[in-house]
Amino acid sequence: MTVLLEVRGLKKHFPVRGGLLHRAEAQLKAVDGVSFKLEAGQTLGLVGESGCGKSTLGRALLRLHEPTSGEVYLNGVDIAGLDGAALLEQRRNMQMIFQDPFASLSPRRTIGQTLLEPLEVHDIGTPAERQAIVAELLDVVGLRTAVLNRYPHEFSGGQRQRIGIARALTLKPQFIVADEPVSALDVSVQSQVLNLIKDLQEERGIAFLFISHDLAVVQHLSDVVAVMYLGKIVEMASAADLYRNPRHPYTQALLSAIPVPDPQSGSNRVILGGDVPSPVNPPAGCPFHPRCPQATEACSRVAPTAVNTGTESAPHVVHCLLFSDSK
Amino acid sequence: MSIAAGENLWSKALIKFRRDRAGMAGLAVVLIYALLAAGVWLGLWAGNWADVTGPKWAAASSDYWFGTNMIGQDIFARTLYSTRTAFEVGLVVAVLSTMLGAFFGAVSGYFSGTWIDSLVVWLMGVLDSIPFYLLVAAIAFSLGENPYAMHIAMIATFWIGTSRLVRGEVIKLKSFEFVEAARAIGVGRFTIIFRHIVPNTFHILLVQATITFVAAIKSEVILSFLGIGVQDGMSWGLMISESTLEVLAGFFNNFIAASVFMFGLVMAFNVFSDALQDALDPRTVS
Amino acid sequence: MTALLEVKDLCVEFNTDRGRLRAVDNVSFSVSPGEILGLVGESGCGKTVTGLSILGLVPQPPGEVVNGQILFEGTDLLQLPPKAMQAKRGSDISMIFQEPMTALNPVFTVGAQMTEVLRLHKGLTRTQARNAAIEMLGTVGIPSPERRINDYPHEMSGGMRQRVMIAMALSCGPKLLIADEPTTALDVTTQAQVLEQIVKLQRQFEMAVILITHDLGVVAETCDRALVMYCGEVVESATVDDLFAAPAHPYTSGLMNSIPRLRDQALDRLPVIEGMVPDLLNMPGGCRFADRCQGVQSNCSQDRIALVDAPAAAPRSVRCLYPHMASAGGQS
Repeated sequence: MTVLLEVRGLKKHFPVRGGLLHRAEAQLKAVDGVSFKLEAGQTLGLVGESGCGKSTLGRALLRLHEPTSGEVYLNGVDIAGLDGAALLEQRRNMQMIFQDPFASLSPRRTIGQTLLEPLEVHDIGTPAERQAIVAELLDVVGLRTAVLNRYPHEFSGGQRQRIGIARALTLKPQFIVADEPVSALDVSVQSQVLNLIKDLQEERGIAFLFISHDLAVVQHLSDVVAVMYLGKIVEMASAADLYRNPRHPYTQALLSAIPVPDPQSGSNRVILGGDVPSPVNPPAGCPFHPRCPQATEACSRVAPTAVNTGTESAPHVVHCLLFSDSK
Repeated sequence: MSIAAGENLWSKALIKFRRDRAGMAGLAVVLIYALLAAGVWLGLWAGNWADVTGPKWAAASSDYWFGTNMIGQDIFARTLYSTRTAFEVGLVVAVLSTMLGAFFGAVSGYFSGTWIDSLVVWLMGVLDSIPFYLLVAAIAFSLGENPYAMHIAMIATFWIGTSRLVRGEVIKLKSFEFVEAARAIGVGRFTIIFRHIVPNTFHILLVQATITFVAAIKSEVILSFLGIGVQDGMSWGLMISESTLEVLAGFFNNFIAASVFMFGLVMAFNVFSDALQDALDPRTVS
Repeated sequence: MTALLEVKDLCVEFNTDRGRLRAVDNVSFSVSPGEILGLVGESGCGKTVTGLSILGLVPQPPGEVVNGQILFEGTDLLQLPPKAMQAKRGSDISMIFQEPMTALNPVFTVGAQMTEVLRLHKGLTRTQARNAAIEMLGTVGIPSPERRINDYPHEMSGGMRQRVMIAMALSCGPKLLIADEPTTALDVTTQAQVLEQIVKLQRQFEMAVILITHDLGVVAETCDRALVMYCGEVVESATVDDLFAAPAHPYTSGLMNSIPRLRDQALDRLPVIEGMVPDLLNMPGGCRFADRCQGVQSNCSQDRIALVDAPAAAPRSVRCLYPHMASAGGQS
């Protein structure tokens, strides 16, 4: 399988300004050294709680945030270093689906204008051809062409999300970042949209970075899953492996915290103490050690490195000192 | 910006506005004034405002509805003619200053935190700190006898209020996901600003335009009174200015006519503007 | 056991720009002392308005309680004059809300807000109230409460603010706590902490709790009984064990099946409830779920469906002409 996307040491820091002169007093390390590879047609699920940096990571990949350092290779080209026309061309290969169906469509533009815009910006096809492309996209997401002349406010959250998905597909990208695409939808509508995304994966072979805080949703759609905490990936493995055999203490706590809709299931819940620390002052050593039920003394000093506890062909990478001696 | 499916800011606003009796009354009065002004502009009436036809200081009668002034001109015709002046000043200043304010506000808002923003904000601060009438006098003086000196001076200062509001709204809007989506597609920055973001500030611009309209009319009265306002033609300000001498002699028609007409328009427009603002405010409960 | 709270035929309507809609339509239920009742449903089903009307917090315009009785220990709360109702709020019945950031006043310290409640309802002196507040903060699991009591809301995390809100709600020892989506805005690990706290405190104070949520997992783990609401009506009511073992209403079973949850084997396609929630202003006649129901029959859309008691060991009722029978397995 070809590697479509390779991320190396990606960092995104935001200066925290304060004082009279608005000097940068500290750095908010939203993404602090993330590396991974994504194969063509594969879906990587990225999970974590608020403040872990997953949304910032997704946006940094698309250059919606400017990366502070690191490289992002899409089809071998480092898009973190591109600008101007070269970047514009690469944008055809990567698109995004957003979380909030009420804020992701411009209220003053018709659906038709919104869907045609990518084609116009990249000068694709004649006007007649563009209309045909848009009509086909609407069909794919299950909407009728009558919607083209209407405005976003006339549609429900689920329908707007479908329009957002159609927009992301317009340029036929190989890679789509989906940032919590169903979190803002009513529960009974979520499964409709998830099935649609699954169809797109299978029929069009699009690679996805699927960002969510909901582990159950991620399990349904992902091949590989990565868990983020305070700007770093703490564990990454195939979906089946991660859910059956979570190694990192944070992953274990996260999985056990999910309320199960079954009153008969016993709950061997790992309750974490304390709160998520601020990304402005991450703890020394392992970022998770203040809350970790299995922390040792070394954890407060030494930052863990990636350790593959699986095999070469089925890697199960953990960033935890508990595993660094076991090889 | 939380709008449920099926509702639109404008359709909701229309419904709310129609229920506001005071607002509807204000709008009706403004429209009457507008018709009067249009008639003058088309030459239908008040063409004789400068003619010296009558006796000096005639009382109100069927020939001269408001009487005549010191040199025998028909006060009613002059008052009507001034309506046209008021609308002309109001519209020109409102439209142009709102456009200018929208432009600067949008650009400084989108580039907030950069030197562009700092430059515009600095400019706003500088212009704001010069006393308005001094600025007008300075512009009038430097432009000589240009009849548009007053308009230019007003536009040069009134854009600031609009610009501040638009800047705030744009700063809020630029973090919305539809803007991120446009950036992800590769839409150019200025296209984003003027095609995606600014149209979402129209509700602010509309209310600001009505406020500027009223401010322009009121300022014109004072400027004309001071002699640096309307140079040719007639306006309520000029009428009031003339009437200072007449009042001392005990003749009030000129003064009352101009003041009452001006008060009527300003009051009606204010009421209309308030109702418009309430109707467009997404937060007020219906 | 006599019920602590009895809601009878509650109807709440709202005036909107497009017409008058009925958010709560003849809802009846009861809560026993010390019981945790779940009110489950999606956005727009009326569960929040139901909770608000118990405390008289529905904004009256545009809302209006047009019918019904809310009997708390025998007294109809809807008939109480405002001062009497105010005396009950916070002391006998308390409420916690979804958004801890907006529910707490940002310009006052946590201590100031907590002592206000205590002094208002229990007439404590300032020192007594402060000590009681510190103790309460400790009870809800806030570390170093004697220091945190001087914090402002923005200095605390979401989970802690929620716990402060719980502490405020419980400080006067209410008999009934209404919790409106208390953990929806929290991360899942914090949610686990807060829910555990609520259950522990419920047992300690012997409180009844009405837990309003859309999360079936939360209901399964914390509640004794549950009511499922759809379009302003109660469509199913049962003990939690019965409800999850064999959901009777097609909406309940559809919801349980379609919600993504951790499964041993990932499914290929998630089961789906087709269609959308109907517009509350344009309610269909007959069963409101008919156009989305897989088992719909021709007479489902004719007349209004009544809430009928279903045969079972524990009390349960369903609003459906063709409910799943108790023996059928309802979930995968």
